[in-house]
Amino acid sequence: MSEEKCRVYLDGREIGTVADGKEFAAEIRSNRRKGLISGEINVAYIKSINEVHINADKGRVRKPYIIVEDGQSKLTPDIMEKLKAGEIDFNFLVRRGIIEYLDAEEEENILAAMDPSEITKKTTHLEADPASFFGLTVNNSVFPEFNSMGRHPIAWNFMKQAQGLYTTNFNSRYDARAFLLYYPQVPIVNSVTYRTLNMKRHANGQNFVVALSTYYGYNMQDAVVLNKAAVDRGLGRSVFYRSYMDEERRYPGGQQDSFKLPPPTIEGYKGEHAYSKLGEDGIVEPELEVNEGEVIIGKVSPPRFLEEQTSFGVGEERSRDNSVTLRSGETGAVDSVMFSETTGATRIIKVRIRSIKVPEVGDKFASRQSQKGVTALIVPQEDMPYTKEGIVPDLLLNPIGLPNRMTYGHILEMLGAKAASLDGKTVDGTPFSRHGKEVIDDYAGTLEKYGFEKFGDEVFYDGRTGKKFSATLFNGVVYYHRLWHMVSLKLQVRSRGPVQILTRQPTEGKPRKGGLKFGEMERDALVGHGASLLIKERMLDQSDKAPVWICKTCGDIGYYDYIKNTPVCPTCGGNKLEEVEISYAFKLLLDELKSMHILARLRLKSD
Amino acid sequence: MSESKSEKEYKKEKPEVSYGEPVGVVAAQSLGEPATQMVLKSFHTAGVSSVVTTTGLPRVIEIIDARKRVKLPVMRIRAEKSIAKDYEKVKQLKQKIEEIKLKSLLTNYEEDIKSGTIKFNFNRERLSENSLTVSQVASKISKHFEGIELSTESGAITVKYKSKRDAKNMRTAFVHILNFAVAGIAGISKAVVQQSEDGAFYIVTSGSNMAKVIEIEGVDKDRIYSNDIFEVLKVYGIEATRNLIASEIQKTLLDEGFGIGFRHISLVADTMTYTGIIRSIGRHGIAGDKASVLARAAYEETVKHFVNASVFGERDLLKGVAENILIGKQIAVGTGRIKLAVRKEDLKKIKSSYSEK
Repeated sequence: MSEEKCRVYLDGREIGTVADGKEFAAEIRSNRRKGLISGEINVAYIKSINEVHINADKGRVRKPYIIVEDGQSKLTPDIMEKLKAGEIDFNFLVRRGIIEYLDAEEEENILAAMDPSEITKKTTHLEADPASFFGLTVNNSVFPEFNSMGRHPIAWNFMKQAQGLYTTNFNSRYDARAFLLYYPQVPIVNSVTYRTLNMKRHANGQNFVVALSTYYGYNMQDAVVLNKAAVDRGLGRSVFYRSYMDEERRYPGGQQDSFKLPPPTIEGYKGEHAYSKLGEDGIVEPELEVNEGEVIIGKVSPPRFLEEQTSFGVGEERSRDNSVTLRSGETGAVDSVMFSETTGATRIIKVRIRSIKVPEVGDKFASRQSQKGVTALIVPQEDMPYTKEGIVPDLLLNPIGLPNRMTYGHILEMLGAKAASLDGKTVDGTPFSRHGKEVIDDYAGTLEKYGFEKFGDEVFYDGRTGKKFSATLFNGVVYYHRLWHMVSLKLQVRSRGPVQILTRQPTEGKPRKGGLKFGEMERDALVGHGASLLIKERMLDQSDKAPVWICKTCGDIGYYDYIKNTPVCPTCGGNKLEEVEISYAFKLLLDELKSMHILARLRLKSD
Repeated sequence: MSESKSEKEYKKEKPEVSYGEPVGVVAAQSLGEPATQMVLKSFHTAGVSSVVTTTGLPRVIEIIDARKRVKLPVMRIRAEKSIAKDYEKVKQLKQKIEEIKLKSLLTNYEEDIKSGTIKFNFNRERLSENSLTVSQVASKISKHFEGIELSTESGAITVKYKSKRDAKNMRTAFVHILNFAVAGIAGISKAVVQQSEDGAFYIVTSGSNMAKVIEIEGVDKDRIYSNDIFEVLKVYGIEATRNLIASEIQKTLLDEGFGIGFRHISLVADTMTYTGIIRSIGRHGIAGDKASVLARAAYEETVKHFVNASVFGERDLLKGVAENILIGKQIAVGTGRIKLAVRKEDLKKIKSSYSEK
C-alpha cells in the first residue's frame, strides 16, 4: 500500500495521482491561505483510502474557522483591536488567511479547539464560537445545549410556524394568508444571535407565566390550560389575513370575463342575499363584515361551451356567474381591495379579509424548547392556582411532558426568565456561553435575593377551593409561540352535502364541504364485527344510493317513462322491469363494461 | 413476551364464535396488525448458534406467499433414542450429513499453471475431525473427475491436468475440485450438534434435504424437522405441511413478541392447504381462486378478470362480502347471515286467515 500512489479527485472526477497526498493537500491549503488560489476551494486528504478530494463545485455548505498555526491562534489580540476599531472587516481576515471556510469533507482533516484555552500543538483551527455549529433557527432559541439533540428539529419547525410580526409592510402586501400577533414581545431570555439578527423587530411570541401543574386532567397528553383573564387581556391574540384574487381572463374567440354585479338571470345565480355586500362595481365594500358563501368579487364569464343551434338559429349567449365567494367556515371584515393589471393587460382584483383570532380551545401553542400543546380548557382566573403574592399563571403545563423529552432548556428558561423579571432585565441564553451550574447558581442567587425559593418552586393555592396545595409548584416565565394551526381554520362538519358528478359519492376535502373517508380498513373493521346493516348504511344509504329499473327479461338497465307511466327497457323493448336500489358506482361499472362491449346481465330474485 | 395457547389447549375449549361470525376477516386483522408493527421494529438477534434462519416479517411473508425456495432452509435432526445421549455417535451422524468441501480440509494449495498441476496440502486436524484419510479423499476425487492424474504424498495430493493446452478449462476443473463435496449430503452446507434440555443431542443444519437425510441410519424419522414447506409436502404430505405452516407462523410471531391466537393462524394454514396443494395467500393463490368475478376484479388485475368472465360467460352468484358491498346489498355476514324462515307473502296469508276467524 505504501508504494501505491495517491489518487486525486476534482469534484468527484479522478484527474491524476500524486506521491504523497497529505503533502499535496497541505500545499493546496497553504496556497489558498496565501491567496494564490481561490478561497472557495476545499481539499481533503482521506487517509483510509489514500485519496485527495478537491472540491470546487457549487452547493457545498461551508463554515468559517479561525486558523491556528504552531499552537497560536492567528486572530491575535492586536487584530481584534483593529477589528473593534473598525479599521478592518471580516472579509479582510478571510483574505489574509486568518479565517477560512471549510466544507464537510475538509472538516475531517482538522482538529478544532472550542476555546482558545484548549489549543495544543496539534490544533489546526479554532471555532469562532461554539454556538456556530447550530443553525440560525436553533441559535434563536435559548439553552439548546441542554436539550436532547432529537428535539432540535422539532423546535425549528415550531419556530417556523409561529405567528408574529412576520414583516413590517404587511399592510401593503396581499399574502395568500398571514398571521399577525397582537402584542408581540421580546423574549426575556434571548441569545446573541437573536440580538444580532435584530429579531426583536420581528418578535413572534409572548412571555407566558407558566406553572408546572396538572389541572383536573385537562392538560393530559400535552394539552395546555389557559387563563381566561389573560386571554381577555390579549394573550396570544392575533389577526388572520386571507387574500382572494381574481382576474378578467380572455378566451379564444374574443370573449372575456368582466367584473360586475351578476344579473339575476345569469346561469348559476347564487341568490340575491349572496351578492348583498357588493358595490355597484361588483366588488365588496371595504370594512364590511362578510360571511361564508357570500360573494366578494362578482364576475361574469362567457359560457363554457359554444351554444348549440336550436330551431330558432343560434340563441343568445347565456353567460355564467363565476364569482369568488368567501371560503367555507370563514368570516371577517374586508381589510382592503386592490386593483391592478397583469402583463397580459387583463384586470386583476385582490381582496384581503381580516379576522381576529382569539385563542380558543383547540388552538396550538409551543415554547422554543419543542414543547407544544393544544389548548384544552380556558379557565376563569379565579379558578386558577395562585401564589401568596397573587401571581396567577397564564398557562398550566403538565410536568410529565418534560422527563421523557429531556428538554432541560425549558426548565432553565423558566428559571432564568423568572429571575430576570424580578431584576427587570433580560438574560442571555446563548448556546454554550455558560456552564449549567453557573447558570443555575446565578438565577438561584437572584431569586433568593428577592425572597423567593431559589429553585423557582412556590406554594400555590387552589383557586376552586382556596386550599393550599400539598406540593410546591415549579413556575416561571416561558416565551411561547402561538402556532398557526387553529381550530377555526380546520373545523368542518357535514351531514348531507355536495356529491361528485361522476360517482355521486360525497366530495372530499374541507374546501368542498366533503365527508370523511370511510376506507377499506374501516369497512373491514365493520365486517369483522358482523355489522352488516351498518356497512350498508355507510356504503349505500349515506353515499351513492340510486334507484335503478332492471329488466326482468334481458337483465339490462332500463328507465321509467313518466309520460306513458310505465317502465321501459331500451335493450329488449319490454316493460317488465323492477326498481332496485343499487350503488351508483355499480351502475357506473356496468356502463363502463358496456363501453368495453361487455354486457353484464342482472338476474333478479325475490328474497 | 406474551403467551399463546397451543392448538391442543384450544381444542379442549368450546368454540367462542357464533354463527355468521367473519372469522376470516378477524384472522386477517389479527395477523395484519402485528405485521404492520413488525415493519417498524425489525430487530435482529445475533445468533448464538451458527445456524441462521429468516425471522420476523420476511419469514411470515415467505410462508404466506408459499415461496418455492426458502431463503435460509434449516433442518433439525434428532438421533434415534438409543444413541441420542451419546455425543460421539451423534457427532458421527453429523459427519455423515454435513457436506464437506475439499477446500475446507486444506491448509493451503499450490497452483502451477505452467506444468498444469495443483497441490493440495491437507490439514490433518480437519481430516481427523471428519474421520477421513488422504487416500480416501484421493480415491473419491479420482472416481468423480476425469482427465486428471493423481499422485498422493504424505498429507498432500497433487492433481495433474492431462491436456496442457487448455488453461481456461484447467482452471475451471481445479475450482470444481476445490468445491467438491468429499462427504455428506448435497445441499447441507453446515451442521452443528446441540444439546437439548433433557440431555439428548441433536443436529441443526443450514440447508435442507429431507429425502436424503431420512435414509441415513440412526436418524429418528418421526422427529425430523425442516422449515421448507414444499419439502415437507413432498416427503410427509399435506397434513404435516398444514401443521408446519401453522407452527412456523406462530413461532416466528412469538419470537417477535406477538402472541396471536392459534385459531387465527390455523385458519390461515387450513385455507392454504385444504385443497391438497399449497396455495399462497394472494392473487396467485386463494384470492385468485375466488368464485365471484366481481370480488376477483375488485382485488387485482381488474380488466383480465372481466374480459375472461365475458368470454366464458361467467355467472356471479353474489354470495361473498366484496361483491355485495359493491352493489349495495346487505352482506351475508354477522347480522346479515340470518334470514326469515317465513316469507312476507306467506305471513300475509296467515294474517288474513287469522282475521277471518
